[in-house]
Amino acid sequence: MHLTRVLELYPDTRVTQILYKDVKNAAELRRKAMEGNINGALVNPTMLVGPFQVLVAANKAVHLQTTGKMKTKTLNAEIIFNLSPTNNISEAFKRFGISDGDHSILVVVVHKSDEVQFVSDISAMVDGQQLPVDDVSSLSDFNKIKKLFKITPQEEKCGPLLDAVVCRMAIKDVL
Amino acid sequence: MAGQTTLSRFVGKADLVKQGAEGRVYRAQFLGKPTIVKERFRKRYRHPVLDEKLTHRRTVQEVRSILRCRRAGISAPVVYFVDYTSHCIFMEEIAGSSTVRDHIVSTQQANSCKELELQQLAERIGRILAKMHDEDVIHGDLTTSNMLLRCSSQDTESDLVLIDFGLSYISSLPEDKGVDLYVLEKAFLSSHPNTNVLFEKLLQSYTKSSKKSPAVIKKLDEVRLRGRKRSMVG
Repeated sequence: MHLTRVLELYPDTRVTQILYKDVKNAAELRRKAMEGNINGALVNPTMLVGPFQVLVAANKAVHLQTTGKMKTKTLNAEIIFNLSPTNNISEAFKRFGISDGDHSILVVVVHKSDEVQFVSDISAMVDGQQLPVDDVSSLSDFNKIKKLFKITPQEEKCGPLLDAVVCRMAIKDVL
Repeated sequence: MAGQTTLSRFVGKADLVKQGAEGRVYRAQFLGKPTIVKERFRKRYRHPVLDEKLTHRRTVQEVRSILRCRRAGISAPVVYFVDYTSHCIFMEEIAGSSTVRDHIVSTQQANSCKELELQQLAERIGRILAKMHDEDVIHGDLTTSNMLLRCSSQDTESDLVLIDFGLSYISSLPEDKGVDLYVLEKAFLSSHPNTNVLFEKLLQSYTKSSKKSPAVIKKLDEVRLRGRKRSMVG
């Protein structure tokens, strides 16, 4: 159900995504993440179009961490920041990080080994139901995404929403 | 630097598609998608500081132009990732496509009465370029090899995709747009002999579709009078 992918540019690094819905303890999880007890980025899945978008954000985060050019203080913060179309860090957290009242969460973990024990450790902490990561689009708020990413009607006709979103994520630092 | 060696290992395993004066183009799988990697390499004949500035600027201009085009509804490859340390752009590989150049050549060779089809294609190109110039994007290297026809699965018209924005920049000047069209005219007429009528259709379509076309066509006429092998009678 969870999705693990090796980063081609960093072959010893893997990105695992775990999706939960009907989450009842978002506030507690948020607190745990801030205390450092969950080693993953907690993302608001209603702002996501698909798992590929998360991979793009994670890849960029790992790259910037390796080259010492992160804009935020931690790798997990950088992943959340990279999901945003703007260069404003607090806005990125507000929209793509989770809030206390959220009912769904996507956990993103960057790890080195093939070991996925942490998936069950995290699931044990979440009071919610795990979903296959590919189902994330069933939770998406497409109108909110289109509005935030300022997707023009002409652009919608020339390709899928995912393309428009990923393109902005990739280019935002030089816009 | 750690980042650089991982990239060189990655491109080492990728397929080299072509090598030009500017850099190399590779094909690879990236995050599960077929990807084109454009690498602009260092030019050792340049002063290092200038080289870095120029290469960085070209990379930035390229991706900005792509996004501008997409926002206006012009198909261009999706950019997935930009590595500013090695000046590599990772972008969508447009699969199952042929260049407009190959399409025109094969259509002409087939000798069937596809003249109307080619005219419609020329008109489409004119419309798309008008849209691009109205967005103040100058492509910089307009040729029929830099336009792809992406075959769609259904019976719908194939998608026209502009590629290779490596020499592109943003400008509102009619002169720059006129030169952009001039470059296409020269490339078009040399790649495809006996297509003056076709190119005229393209320009007519451009003129009709662009709000700023009169000034641009005026400049195009002026530029045509310049250049090599022109009589210096004024």
